[in-house]
Amino acid sequence: MEELTFSASDSNKKNTNIPGSLAIWAAILAEMSEFAIMFIVYFIAKVHNPEIFAQGPLRLSTMAGASNTLIMLTSSFFVVRGVIAMRANKPDMCTRWLWGAVISGGLYLIIKYFEYQWNTTQGLNTETNIFYAVYYYVTFNHFLHVGWGSAAIIWVIFRINTGVYTHKEHEGLLNIAVYWHMIDLAWITIFPLLYVIH
Amino acid sequence: MKMTHIKVINTLWIVLILLTLFSTYMAEQSSPGLSSIIIMALVLAIKGRIIVDYFMELKHANVVLRRLMQLYFYVIPALIILVYLFPDKIAKWTAL
Repeated sequence: MEELTFSASDSNKKNTNIPGSLAIWAAILAEMSEFAIMFIVYFIAKVHNPEIFAQGPLRLSTMAGASNTLIMLTSSFFVVRGVIAMRANKPDMCTRWLWGAVISGGLYLIIKYFEYQWNTTQGLNTETNIFYAVYYYVTFNHFLHVGWGSAAIIWVIFRINTGVYTHKEHEGLLNIAVYWHMIDLAWITIFPLLYVIH
Repeated sequence: MKMTHIKVINTLWIVLILLTLFSTYMAEQSSPGLSSIIIMALVLAIKGRIIVDYFMELKHANVVLRRLMQLYFYVIPALIILVYLFPDKIAKWTAL
């Protein structure tokens, strides 16, 4: 309540700034809510099936999950450095950082692909039990986000190379930056829930 | 000023990596118990907060947006602990 009053009476100050556009934040909040619903489904399924959820993570590759966590965090770091480079009017440096993020995204997808393959050889699939149904639903959804997020970064690199985004006007870069961090946030939540806690 | 910002970001990236390695290693080593659950929840809360405040740059941004995003990383870690402590009660409340 206090916060709302404060922000209303202070609407001309810098704390009303939004990194990126209002539209991208509407998308981010919608997607965070979607992931929140998946996490609530996970928690409810877990308390109703404690045995299955205690065993489930043990048959997943913690190594694959942990590697992808390190990769996602690093890709987010690359994006931040890209934004900083753009503000310093170094577009070439910016695209180099962004390519780092794209390569990280690609690496994530490759690891996830081999992880799914590895699961299949162990006889795990969406119908094994409710834990793996939740696991596949959540992680495949996230997999798609990394895929189109990476494609969007390539699009932004193209826009920077053609001079559409400059150090003064690069809202499109800020949009993909915050969107990519949202994908990162979703993964750092998924990792402990599905791979570690049992 | 700019150098300082880059240094902060570099340091936070290393902190995020170390927190991930630490919590994963700890969870793998010890048998599951309340202490490892609390550490996992805390690590998630800290990592989420770093990304929201510094990577998304919400620390000095719109206060409603910032609070909303920060709230996420109070609620999910709290749920992790509550689900560990009171699975039966939560199962009863969520039964159809």
